[in-house]
Amino acid sequence: MKRNKFIVIGSGRLGANIAAKMSESGEDVIIIDATEDSFRKLAESFSGYQVVGDATDLSVLENSYIKHAKTVVITTDSDNVNIFLSHICYYVYNVPNIFVRLADTDKGRLLEGTYIKAIYPFTLSLNEFLTLNDEEEEK
Amino acid sequence: MKIVITGGKHEADFIVKMLKQEHHQLIVINSDREFADYISSNNDIAVFPGDPTKAYVLSDAEAHNADVLIALADNDTDNYITCITAKRLFNIKKTVSKVRNPKNVELFKKLGVDSVISSTYLLAQTIVNESSIENIIKTLSIEDEKIVMLELGVEDDFALVNKQIMDIQFPKNINISCIFRDPHVIIPKGSTVIKPDDKLIIITTPTEQEEIIDFIQKKK
Repeated sequence: MKRNKFIVIGSGRLGANIAAKMSESGEDVIIIDATEDSFRKLAESFSGYQVVGDATDLSVLENSYIKHAKTVVITTDSDNVNIFLSHICYYVYNVPNIFVRLADTDKGRLLEGTYIKAIYPFTLSLNEFLTLNDEEEEK
Repeated sequence: MKIVITGGKHEADFIVKMLKQEHHQLIVINSDREFADYISSNNDIAVFPGDPTKAYVLSDAEAHNADVLIALADNDTDNYITCITAKRLFNIKKTVSKVRNPKNVELFKKLGVDSVISSTYLLAQTIVNESSIENIIKTLSIEDEKIVMLELGVEDDFALVNKQIMDIQFPKNINISCIFRDPHVIIPKGSTVIKPDDKLIIITTPTEQEEIIDFIQKKK
């Protein structure tokens, strides 16, 4: 089985931009969102597939070629949905690369013992603030 | 037993009432503040208002090391997160989740929830069972109830499966007049072999009827 699909779940600002960038760099991208309107955030350059549906329904995932996914990026606006989806991708479909965006750093504990990689906007913003603040202090 | 009950409305109220009578140690968590108050006053028990998918809420409610957690929220994903958090971070031995989507029964079990309940799934199971009961016995009385016609479904674990009719020691007053083996209808001879899923059409008398049903349904 060839794993060559790059799947993005959740077409918010982050998801839509990741999908467009990966599409530009030649990846075979599929983006899933529950509402069709969300795809308006996709750049013109996006040349992948759009799937409208609830990704927590396994039939929607399977119709989006989850079994052929090499990477899944999960960026819906609910941490609980994101964790649930990442567990499905890991335990049911054994997707080799899984990235998940989480608002609550505490929820990351549910990923312990897996290779799922979490992205925390909170931690990134905090670190960015500390860096910028240091730069100001040094002036 | 120490039992944690999270989410849910009237089902939570009902279960709290039932378990309280059996003197279990109950920890009730509900994110709907109004309903939390209702369950609390209705059952004379403390209810923690809060979101049980958050670890600090389970921690504040002292849910650690409970024997069972029952997740009753209307949102399947929330129930999953509650159960997994309970198992992985709070050492709760057994988790039970209600689900709305019957497809989540198998999925949640695969992902580590111990017991998953869907009312739709249960309903479907009951219907399947009912139809197999119906498949077992249909009777028709003829000649003023001196003769009965039975229809009996054969299941794989019956003793007479894969035997020739002539080798089976039937009780008296029985006649297998017809075998329905989808899509064929067989008029049996002594050499006919009985297969699983056959439907036997049997002619007998009302007095022997019960004995014959017991005989046919005898397990291996």
